Amino acid sequence: MIAFIKKDLLVFWRDRKEVLISLLAPIFIIIVVNFVFSGITFDDAGDMDIHAGLVVEDDEAAGLQQFEKRLQNIDLPERKIEVMMEQAQDLSPIGLIVSLFDDPELSSWIHTEEMNEEEAIEQVENGDLDAVIKIPNDFTFDVVGQMVLGETADTSLHLQIEEHSIETDILTDIIDNYLKTFNYQFALGAVAEGEAGDAVLPEGGREVINESAVEWDLAQYYAVAMSTLFALFIAATVAVKTETEKRERVFNRILLTNSRPVSYLMGKTFSTFAMTWIQLMLVFFVSDLLLGIFPEKSVNYWLGIIVIVTFFSFVVAGLSASFTSLMLRMKNLNAANGLFTIVIMVMAALGGNFFPMEQLPEWLEALSGWTPTGITISLFTEFLQTDDIVSFAAPLMKLAGFFIGFLLFGVLLFPERRRA
Amino acid sequence: MIEINKLTKSFKGKKVVEDVDIYMDEGESIGLLGPNGAGKSTTISMISSLLKPTSGDVKLNGKSTIKNPAEIRRILGVVPQEIALYEELSAHENLKFFGEIYGVKRNVLEQRIQNVLDMVGLKKRQKELVKTFSGGMKRRVNIAAALLHNPEILILDEPTVGIDPQSRSHILETVKKLNRENGTTVLYTSHYMEEVEQLCERVYIMDHGRVVAAGSKEELLSILSSEDTIQINLSDTNDEVVEKIKSIKNIRRVDETKNGIRIISKKGSNILSDLVHAVESEGIHLTNFQMETPSLEDVFLHLTGRTLRD
Repeated sequence: MIAFIKKDLLVFWRDRKEVLISLLAPIFIIIVVNFVFSGITFDDAGDMDIHAGLVVEDDEAAGLQQFEKRLQNIDLPERKIEVMMEQAQDLSPIGLIVSLFDDPELSSWIHTEEMNEEEAIEQVENGDLDAVIKIPNDFTFDVVGQMVLGETADTSLHLQIEEHSIETDILTDIIDNYLKTFNYQFALGAVAEGEAGDAVLPEGGREVINESAVEWDLAQYYAVAMSTLFALFIAATVAVKTETEKRERVFNRILLTNSRPVSYLMGKTFSTFAMTWIQLMLVFFVSDLLLGIFPEKSVNYWLGIIVIVTFFSFVVAGLSASFTSLMLRMKNLNAANGLFTIVIMVMAALGGNFFPMEQLPEWLEALSGWTPTGITISLFTEFLQTDDIVSFAAPLMKLAGFFIGFLLFGVLLFPERRRA
Repeated sequence: MIEINKLTKSFKGKKVVEDVDIYMDEGESIGLLGPNGAGKSTTISMISSLLKPTSGDVKLNGKSTIKNPAEIRRILGVVPQEIALYEELSAHENLKFFGEIYGVKRNVLEQRIQNVLDMVGLKKRQKELVKTFSGGMKRRVNIAAALLHNPEILILDEPTVGIDPQSRSHILETVKKLNRENGTTVLYTSHYMEEVEQLCERVYIMDHGRVVAAGSKEELLSILSSEDTIQINLSDTNDEVVEKIKSIKNIRRVDETKNGIRIISKKGSNILSDLVHAVESEGIHLTNFQMETPSLEDVFLHLTGRTLRD
């Protein structure tokens, strides 16, 4: 088997054009993409600055008085009314909204200023403000009614914006998430105590990533996506070389040596593994050297990359075993080439090699988790953010499963020693 | 040593090889002669176990090799018609790879490589890539690759097609040496009559998938022992004169060849005066008349009605 591996590596190495394409093409694309997307991150809030006007139309004291009257109109015992009023005062919906934007996490990049509606709209129109957050009349009455009595709220927080932007979308999301979290926690409290519990302030509308996290930007994404895509093509390249062996009767000469067919297939498989591994590591190393794609440079970091690359290389190696057997069975080189390209492109499209799957429907994202490149890209994403290889056991096992599956398919499909 | 009985191969119902019987004794040099498409390569593929026969058997020392091809493969060296080498590798790298997968022990492999390279005259160019070699040099490496495991039987399928005279002569000498000095049994297929005549003790002539004649050179030539072969040249030629020659008594066959007209007549029959008369009656002159010793080419023509290059 070692003779086959050495031979396949030598044959590949001597095909300078192929070597250059598999090594330089991904590096070139990564360089181009790095310039195009330089600095853009999926979670980037560092440079964001949102200015919003806070218009409070509602009178909290009046709202609470209105709520007390509402309670008295319901036939409730005096003690019960007192308890509910205490809860309503503790809730203080306006206070919660205002305190959300006073939180240091948000106040550093979302700047709110209380003003009247007319002034706020004028500033939005002038472009001085990005949005107006309006707490409408009866907001307090409606919210406490909803929270304490479980009634339907007629009023809701208004967010007025002049034109959509990433900033205003984020602000909308923060407010929505805040209210959802607030309602959820309040409902949980009610279930736990059998009655309306104390409102617990949510931690905030912005997800906080741990201190050591490194942000995953588009350049990093494309470095991984492009290199894994080009790695898949190595499987096809190795398989297509089988056609030359078949056409020039080298394959027959190999059969006549009494070599075990599995040795031939394993030669293809493990030489593909070696080529893929070297290609990926080289592309990552050169990309990092030239562009600083991967900012962290600890030994653990590179060990993690080696583990992921090793598992993915095995998948590509398994794929080459399948392709090689198909190549030996198929009579038309062009048809085989077309089939391999389709398989690779579908795998790459579903795996998120062309665009990040986060931007696509959830079912597609879930499907991506069952493709080799999808798993690998996701592994890299998580690894770059968490630096924790232990939690990757399941995805790595999935990759191992793909390797075994592809290899078995290749072995089962491998033709007999001679033609009938 | 090898006995081939009623070997038949059909593709999509069409028989390309039919009831072929061949016998090869140890140390013999056998020629398989036939024009392109006669079924020689298919026969060789079946003998070497690469192709399963539709019917018939190939026996090695009395044992069938159809179900268990490993034994025959172990002692067989096959030189295919195609250059079955890796063009991107050097001659040495190719031989090393094939030697390793033939299972030649590492401590003797290098010596064996040097021996076969020496035999085919490429020792000095062993480090060069095969793709930089001429057709003849590639064919020599092609032969070397089949010799690495010291095969007892060597099958060569048209090993000299399309190569320069120097390489051709080298290849013929190598095969002769292997057979006569090393005792290697050789099955040599070709459509070059002179190669087979030079190398082989016995010849099988194939045409349209069948063996049409077999035997030693003398035995085959004796087929024509009752005939004379005459080569004539005329000042001009036309269909009428050919027809007139054919109508002469005791003339059995008339073929127009690139060298003139070949006539097969009954042995000892005196046709010269009738021939001169027939030719001159058409206003044409006989410019050359030559009695020829029959060759295998004549035998082939006699048996199949066509030349080997047809």
